Parts: sequence; structure tokens; C-alpha cells
Amino acid sequence: MSTDHDGSSLDLERILVRYLAENRLTRRQLLRRISIVGATAAVAPIIAACATGGASAAPSISTPVPAAPSSSDAGAAAETASPTATPEPTPQPTPEGELYVYNWTQYIGDTTVKDFQDKYGIKVTYDFFDTADTQLTKIRSDGKGGGYDVTYPASTDIPGLVRDGVVAALDLSMISNAKNLGTEWANPGYDPNNAHSMPYMWWTTGFVWDPDKIKEDLTDWTALWDERYKGHMSMLDDVREVFAAAAFRLGLSPNTTSDTDLDAMLQLLEQQKPLLRTYTANDIADFTGGQVWLTHAWSGDWGQMLSDKPKTKYVIPESGAVRGSDTMVVLSGAQHPVAANLWIDFNLDAKVSAANTNVTYYMGPNAAALPLIDPTISGDPRINPASATLDKLVELLELGPDLDKYTQRWNALKA
Amino acid sequence: MTTAAAAPTPRRPLRDRLSALIYVVPGVGWLALFFAVPLVIVLIVSFGTKDATGHVSLAHPGLQNYLRAGRPEYVPAFLNSLRYAGITTILSILIGYPIAYWISRYGGRRKILLLILVMLPFWTSYLIRTYAWMIILRDNGVLNGILQSVGLISDPIPFLNTDFSVILGMTYGFLPFAILPLYVSIDRMDDNLVQAARDLYASGRQAFLHVTLPITMPGIVAAALLTFIPAIGDYVTPDLLGGAQTTTIAKVVQVVFQSGRDWPYGSALGFLLMVLTLVGTFAALRTLRRETLGGG
Repeated sequence: MSTDHDGSSLDLERILVRYLAENRLTRRQLLRRISIVGATAAVAPIIAACATGGASAAPSISTPVPAAPSSSDAGAAAETASPTATPEPTPQPTPEGELYVYNWTQYIGDTTVKDFQDKYGIKVTYDFFDTADTQLTKIRSDGKGGGYDVTYPASTDIPGLVRDGVVAALDLSMISNAKNLGTEWANPGYDPNNAHSMPYMWWTTGFVWDPDKIKEDLTDWTALWDERYKGHMSMLDDVREVFAAAAFRLGLSPNTTSDTDLDAMLQLLEQQKPLLRTYTANDIADFTGGQVWLTHAWSGDWGQMLSDKPKTKYVIPESGAVRGSDTMVVLSGAQHPVAANLWIDFNLDAKVSAANTNVTYYMGPNAAALPLIDPTISGDPRINPASATLDKLVELLELGPDLDKYTQRWNALKA
Repeated sequence: MTTAAAAPTPRRPLRDRLSALIYVVPGVGWLALFFAVPLVIVLIVSFGTKDATGHVSLAHPGLQNYLRAGRPEYVPAFLNSLRYAGITTILSILIGYPIAYWISRYGGRRKILLLILVMLPFWTSYLIRTYAWMIILRDNGVLNGILQSVGLISDPIPFLNTDFSVILGMTYGFLPFAILPLYVSIDRMDDNLVQAARDLYASGRQAFLHVTLPITMPGIVAAALLTFIPAIGDYVTPDLLGGAQTTTIAKVVQVVFQSGRDWPYGSALGFLLMVLTLVGTFAALRTLRRETLGGG
């Protein structure tokens, strides 16, 4: 994968993605920059990066920040029971010089990649996917990770990925920061003892709307079927999430495998489709671009929309909603397994984890990081709901071969 | 292409024919390795099944994927693809022909420069250019901003995620593919023929319809093919500029591959699309040739 070059335009896209990652420039910022200075000027640094081999020689905006974890200054906020920062866990195996990470866009702290590179001297190549389907297709294409070392699957997908040998067992001796996890994350049902995956972020799935366009207070999924907002609504481009929304409206389980239930859900979604602008893989850009007023969204994406539209509202619908979490895994075909385990350990550090949350607005499972998180984030019940609320939400389960029942209907719906 | 080719040519000596063969080998080898072999793999996969984990299995090969390809749900997506590609092709030729004509007749010393300008967009990734269109077309984008500031509209017009944005994006993307072959055929045409027609009292319009247009028809056919064939399978433009209502057959194939993780079924759909495109193209070419070239 790292050596495949299948065409100049693809190369350019790869370089673009890499440039965005290294300079912590999101696609949205690029769009904004293009709109301000014109395409040529915005793309010029990318072409420059291309000329220098796409290495980190590209112009860097941020000044070097010293590596986050150090035992000296983290003490104040740390819990006494579990110190946030430990002395560097000088691992026995020597880390490799490179690391290939595959993640969602806008899903990590602004300086996390750079801090990791500075601390360990490992060059990180950071690639993006836009939907979970893209991610799974790629890492399953060769059955061992498609050339990447680390990726971030939803916890729902972990049992299947472990069963099929796509992810490797973690080297827990290198991941001493696992002790920072909250107790409820130490032994999750999808991966006993976190042997193959470490939790990364968790969320709820509800919907957001622009109160400038929609004056009323929305509370439930029926809003996304409201004719008045025709042409200005979108659903996530995610089969399970979309069917879950229909399931909640019908009072069904989003994990149902009954054909009658699924047909009823499909029928409801077919009524909704003519009202929709998109099934979106860009919910944030679609919303801030003005064409979408009301969109199915993950809780953290709402937080990121606030920076453009501070009045944006989010609700966990009252008839039910999905909660879920993403994990970090080492892929079984990883060429740089030591660096990969180090990366996971680094992201479980209290300070790094808090920095990730402060940028993405997604809460992490890191108990030690909690005091370091911006209180407007951790104190917001929509991002960090009380456990009483969470208990009412549903986690999506892995369905195995029955997933076909969903995807066949999803094909029919989108066609 | 030319009717002269039908005349029998005298056989060349064997040595000449062999040495000519050597020049063909790299091209044929390239095509075989990077076109034919992948295509055969797609064909083989399309007869397979997927197992519980999504892997391709060839244990029970058969036509099952082709038998369920004609599902009625896919008809609207297929018709969308046909419609987008058809409109894009017509627009590209209607817009491209005057441009090509102007460059050829009035370009003068700057012809090469003008042709380079036509190809200039290729210097930037198609993806970036499509994103630029998103910025222009979105509801609080450049176009709506201008229309609102001059007072033509009060509420933004939804351009993005519609048929309009998809056809606009595709026409923009494929226009250079139409201009280049049109330019070649117009530039090769002998201007004296038009002059002769005018001398025989043909009006400008008549001269164009009866002389220029038939002579440049091969260029129009080539432009139509170069636009239609990539347009019908285009995935990027409908995906980025389109929306929930603009599903194309390429999008269906993508969903089958990705959400469905059903590579055999996706391969069958992709292969069928290719066969349909090829058959349609050849049928169209034959009719055109009979009508325009065969008669001459």
C-alpha cells in the first residue's frame, strides 16, 4: 500500500490528505481557504509538499510543542489513585521509524500527531476515511489491514475483525496507560480485557438543527420526516445508524434481524428519502454550508459545528437513540507493530486524550483525562450525558451474516 | 475511419510485417497486463459468491449474481446515469463545438496557447476542482451570495445536491474531452470547401449544415464517445455534487462493494454496465456511420 502508486491524480490526492494531516488542516479549513484565496493559492503549499516528496517539510503552522506527557506538570489535575503520566515506559522492543494511521477526519487533537512524532522520532503517515464502510472495505481488502498499522473501528465491528484475523492482539505490556481507562471500559463485552482493542471515544447519535431556520424545539425523530423541511435535511451515510433511526420511530430494536421489522423500517425510510438533501459523509460541511438545516449527527460532530454556527442545537431523541464507541486497534498486517502499540499508549495518556476531546468534542473513556477536559464540553449533558440517560440508549450489536438483511435494503433505499 | 481502407492493399513482405509486429508488442502487452487481466479477474469474481465474512468464494460458481442484477430498484439509478451522461454529452458538444471552431479559425498564432488553456484544469486534481464547485454552489456559497447581493433572489436557491449540480459538474469535467477531438476535426477541414459552398450561393447557415457539419462529424462522434463513456460510469461527481435524489448506477456498485461487502455481486453489476455501454456505443456508431460516413 505504501508503495502503490496508481496514477498521478491519486498520488496528488494522497499527498493532499497527508498534507492536511501533517499540518492539521481539516478539509473544512481547506474549503474555507480555497474560498478565500482561490484554488491555486490554497493548493500551492500542497504542490510544494509534492515537490519535496510530501514529507513533513511542508510549511508548518504551529510551533513545536513539547511532548505532552511529562510527569512534572500533570500532577495538579491528576487523580491520586491513578497518576496521569508515568515515566516513559522504555519498551524492550525498538520502535520502527514509521507508522501508518487510518482514521476519520477531524477526529484527533490538533497537535497529537506532531507531539507523537517529536516524542518518539517516528514519522506518522495519517490517512483518512469518510465512512465506516470505506474503512472496513480497505482494511478487509487483504484481510490484514490494507497496509495500515493502526485504525479506529467502531466497537461493534471488533468481534468480527478479531474473528477474521484482521486485527492483532495488543501488546498490553507496552500500553501502561490502559490504567487510565474508567472502570466500565476495562473489560468491555465486545473485547474481553481489551485484548485486541483500546477504547478511543464514545458518542450518542441524535440530530442537530439550525435554530435560525427551524424555530421550534425538536425532540424526536419525527422531525426528520417533517415535510416542511423538505430538501434541507440529511441522514448519515451509515446503514446501521439510518435503520436505527427508523427502528426508534417504530418502537423496534435497532438490532432486529426480523424481515418484517426490517421491511417496515425500509418502508418508513423510503417515505423519508424524497425529503432528504443527502445521505451525508460530510455532515459538518453540509450543515455549515447552509444547504442542510436539520441533520442526523453524532454528538461530537455537533460540537464541531458550534465553531461555525454557535446556536446549533443537538438532541438525543426521546423515543431512543444509539450510543457507541470507537476503538484503536493494531492491524494484523502491521509492518510497524511496536510503533503502533506506542501510538495507542500515547493516545491513552491523560493529557493527550484530553487534548483529543477538547478538539473533537467527543468524550473519551479516559477517567484520568476528565479533569483536563474543557468543562464546557465535559459539563454539557448532550455530549457527556448522565449515566441515567446513557442507560436508556442502545448499543448496536454485531449481526454477522444477518447484516446482509440491512445492506440489501440499504442498496434498495439508496438506488 | 476512411472509406479508402476498404480497398485491398498489396501484401507486404513477411519481414516487414514481423518488424511491424515488434512495435505493437509493448502497447498490446501493456493493455493485456493492465486492462485485460484485471477485467478477466472481475469477470471471474462476478461468478463467485461471498462467504459469511465477506470473502470471495469460487466454490460454487454460477450466474446467480447476474440473475439478480436486474432488480427493479436499480432501474431509476440506471436511468439517472443514462440521463446525466446523455445530457452531459449533448451539452459538452454544444458548448465545445463553438470553442473548438473559434480556436481553429481565429486562434491564429495563439492556437497552442488556447489549447493549453483548455487542458489547464487537468493540472489540478479533479477532486479539488469538484470541492471548489461545492463552495460555489452551496446554499451560502459564492453563487447564491452574488445573486442575493444584487437582489435577484432573497432565499438561497438549492443548487448543490441536485440534478443541476451533477450535470454542471460533469459537463465541466468532461468538456475538454469533447473540445480536443472537435478541434482536430475542424482544424483538419479544408476551409476552401466552405468558400466553395459560399461561392455557390449557400448562406452561412447552409454552408455550415451541408459542408462543415458533415465533414466534422467524425470529430463529433469521437467527442460524444469520449464524453459519454466516462460520464456513464462517473462516480466522483454524482457522489460529491449529488445528493439523496441523484443516485447513479456507479453509486449502486459502490454501495454493493462497500456497505454490502459483496464483491461478486458488485463485479457482476460493473461488468454488465460495461457490456451495456459497449453494445450501446457500437450500435450508435454503426447507425451514425451508415448515416453520415457510409453515404459519402
